Amino acid sequence: MSSPFSINGGAAVAMVGKDCVAIACDLRLGLQSLTVSNNYPKIFPYGDVYLGLTGLATDISTVSDLLRYKVNMYRLREERAISPQTLANLVSSSLYERRFGPYFVSPVIAGLNHKDGKPFICGFDSIGCIDFAKDFIVSGTASDQLFGMCEGLWEPDLGPDELFETISQALLSAVDRDALSGWGAHVYIIEKDKVTKRLLKGRQD
Amino acid sequence: MAGMFAGPQEMMGYSFNTAPTSASEPRQHSFYPYTDNGGSTLGISGADFTIMAGDTRSTSGYSINSRHVPKLFLIGGEGPKNKGARIVLSVVGFAADGDALKEKLDKEVKMYKYQHGKPMTVSACAQRLSHILYNKRFFPYYVHAILGGIDEEGKGALYSYDPVGSYEREQCRAAGAASSLIMPFLDNQVNFKNHHIPGSGEGHDLKPVVATPLPKETVIELVRDAFTSAVERHIEVGDGLQMMILTKDGVEEQLLPLKKD
Repeated sequence: MSSPFSINGGAAVAMVGKDCVAIACDLRLGLQSLTVSNNYPKIFPYGDVYLGLTGLATDISTVSDLLRYKVNMYRLREERAISPQTLANLVSSSLYERRFGPYFVSPVIAGLNHKDGKPFICGFDSIGCIDFAKDFIVSGTASDQLFGMCEGLWEPDLGPDELFETISQALLSAVDRDALSGWGAHVYIIEKDKVTKRLLKGRQD
Repeated sequence: MAGMFAGPQEMMGYSFNTAPTSASEPRQHSFYPYTDNGGSTLGISGADFTIMAGDTRSTSGYSINSRHVPKLFLIGGEGPKNKGARIVLSVVGFAADGDALKEKLDKEVKMYKYQHGKPMTVSACAQRLSHILYNKRFFPYYVHAILGGIDEEGKGALYSYDPVGSYEREQCRAAGAASSLIMPFLDNQVNFKNHHIPGSGEGHDLKPVVATPLPKETVIELVRDAFTSAVERHIEVGDGLQMMILTKDGVEEQLLPLKKD
């Protein structure tokens, strides 16, 4: 239980729908069994691409700030917003740079491609290996529970509202069976020209 | 094999590096009496039925020992085939302990009928199983057991156990390797956890959906969904799905295929 990945706890999940994607996270921050905060979101926006980070809290801050810096530099140099595919490669190479002293994070990306509007999600291990999934990506201490929920609830071509219900039920029921995650959730539904952010209360225990 | 037992004069060697001599250092050998044979089980009870299910794969480490080792057993009933049995035991964990536990419980339920002239009730069998497990408190049966039957009121009954006999009657329970994948799915789909009645209030004033017993056909579908999902994401689950459907008319057994990869 002293794995750096499970000291602070937390969960994140991303899903593909029809012309939309969703990404969600829980809000708990803990030190082993002690809950320190019940308002610690793990999703970070980079333009209209979203990054979920679970793992060691100090590395979540470091990696999210490092990527904010890199994405800002990209936008200034290129004079355009970063696409989800480009961000995925940026995250991957940034993590692999620390191959022998990794950041203890499991990132998740969700966004729509700027050119063709195609949904894009992917996940990474802590040293930057990319998992391009067509359906869903899970990460965090509730990843087993999330795999079971997503595999059972997800189906292809869900609309934005159905996708919101699916990802919310998957996350809430998953974190209710994980002592290190929970305390409410943030859910983002990303459509072509609209992003909806919802705050879910969930079980408060 | 012969090499393992051959003497040094045959220049065949031993299974260990050097032949032991009277002058050699003390060697530590170890024996671990348990193996994890993987797999998963689940049970769901309804208004007048109970459904028990388990996959039939048996593993040790990354190897598959067999694609058909049942984890569901009929308890009581007549003869070695347990004809007319009305109680089902599922065991997952260490298969040898599971078998020993099944044999012991089956023997005791049969002895009960022989001595008392009436079949054992599910609640009595449930408590007996708890005692059998606790009797080995300091060298436990390495299993998660689930016991299913129909209670004295005709309702579906389901009891789940930890390896040392702590037990509880429940509506549904998943056990074994993929329990962490299946259990939250069951919470959500059987007990309607995180389901609310739309428009019944704001935030925590929203009224939760009250769980009502599901019809048998729905439960069978849920069991199949739970296992096909677990097979996708857990390497120790697969090959076959054994289901036992307990009603007032007896036990119906089904065997369905699961992915073999």
